[in-house]
Amino acid sequence: MRHLLDRHILFFGGKGGVGKTTSAAAFSLAASRAGRRVLLVSTDPAHSTSDVFEAGIGPVEREILPGLWGLELDAAREARRYVDEAKARMSGLFGPAVLAEAARQIELTASMPGVADLAIFDRMSDLVLSRAGAYDLVAFDTAPTGHALQMLRMPDRLSAWVAALAARRRQGLEAAALASPASARGERPADPVLGILEARQARLEALRRELARGERVAFVLVLIPERLPIEESVRAAHDLAEAGIAMGGLVVNRVLPAEASGAYYEARKAQERVYLEEIARRMPSAPRATVPQLESDVHGIAGLERVAACLLAESAPRG
Amino acid sequence: MDAAEAWRHVGEVFEGMALGGHRRQVRAVAVELEDLFLLMCYMDLMGLPNPGALFLLDVYPYLIEEFHLWHRRMGMDRSPLATFSCC
Repeated sequence: MRHLLDRHILFFGGKGGVGKTTSAAAFSLAASRAGRRVLLVSTDPAHSTSDVFEAGIGPVEREILPGLWGLELDAAREARRYVDEAKARMSGLFGPAVLAEAARQIELTASMPGVADLAIFDRMSDLVLSRAGAYDLVAFDTAPTGHALQMLRMPDRLSAWVAALAARRRQGLEAAALASPASARGERPADPVLGILEARQARLEALRRELARGERVAFVLVLIPERLPIEESVRAAHDLAEAGIAMGGLVVNRVLPAEASGAYYEARKAQERVYLEEIARRMPSAPRATVPQLESDVHGIAGLERVAACLLAESAPRG
Repeated sequence: MDAAEAWRHVGEVFEGMALGGHRRQVRAVAVELEDLFLLMCYMDLMGLPNPGALFLLDVYPYLIEEFHLWHRRMGMDRSPLATFSCC
C-alpha cells in the first residue's frame, strides 16, 4: 500500500468487524510518520478510533499524535448543525412570519429518516472539498461497505434530482417571462430558488469530479479470507468501478501466520489457502497487503505500528 | 425616444403579433410548470419520498408564497395541509 502514501483522500471500507478501523488507523499513523499531515475521520456510528489510539477523539478535529489528527463524526450533532446552518442562511432574508413557518417546515423535514445520512454526507463533502487543503491526507474510516458506497454514490443521485428541479424551475421562469409583456422583462431580479439549486448542483459536481480523480482519491477494501467478506469485496470492487472511484487496494486481514501449527491450524490454513487464491483470482489487478492474525487485539501505538509495517510491505499486485 | 428604446417597441409589436393571442395559453403553461416544481419540492408532504427534501431546506421560505398562490388558485381558501400553514 506504499503507493497510497501520496494520496490526498482515502476511504477504508469493508464488512463489519474485518478491521477497517485498525487498517485506517495504522495507515494514517504510517503516513503521519512519513511526514504528512493526516486527518483520520471516523464516519462509522460505532466509533472505535478512540479505542484504537487509546485517546479521546471527539466530534471536533483534534491532534492525537504529532502530525495526526482525529475526528469522530456524530450523526445527531451533524444533523443539528445542518439544520441550524440552513436556518441561519435564511434569517435576515425574510420577514418573521415567513421565517416562523419555514422553521416549522425545516424542523418537520429534519425529523424524517435520512437527515443523519445527509448531514454526514454534507460534512464529508466539506472535508473533501474544503478541509482537505489543511491536510496532506484525509483518511475516512467508513461505516460498513454497503453504506459507504451508498454515500459515495450520493453525489450522482442527488445531482440528478437537483438538476431535474433546476430544469423545471428554469422552464417555469422562462414560460412566466414569455407570458408577461416584453417591457416587463429584463428588470426581473435573479430567481433565488434557481440560484440555490444551481449552487448546490455545482457543489455536487465538484465533489463528483474530485472523487473521480484516481491520482488523488482511492478506496481501500479491507477483508478477511472468508466466504462472505470475499463476496462483499468483489461486489464493492465492481460498484467502485461503476462509480468511477479508484480502488486503491485490498487489505487481507487476519491471515493465519506460518508458524501456527497443529492439526487444527493445518486444517484452517488449508481452507484459508483456498480463499486467498480466490481473492487473487477474482480481484487480480488490486494491489494487496496481508496482515497476519496477531497474538492479541490491536490496541495502542505499538500494535498499530506492527499493522502499519504489514500495510507498507512491498507486495506484487499478482501472485 | 432613443434608438434602443425605439427598437424595443418594434420588438414588442412583433412579439405581440406572434404571441398576442396565445399569451393566455403561455401563462397557463407557466402556471403548470410552477405547480410541477412545487410538487417536486413538496413530495414528502404528499407522502412520497423526496430524495432532495433535506438538501433544499433553504429553498423552503421562498416557496411559501408560491404554495399560498397555488392553493388559492386551486380554489382552496386555506392551506389544505395541516402541516403547512402559509395563511
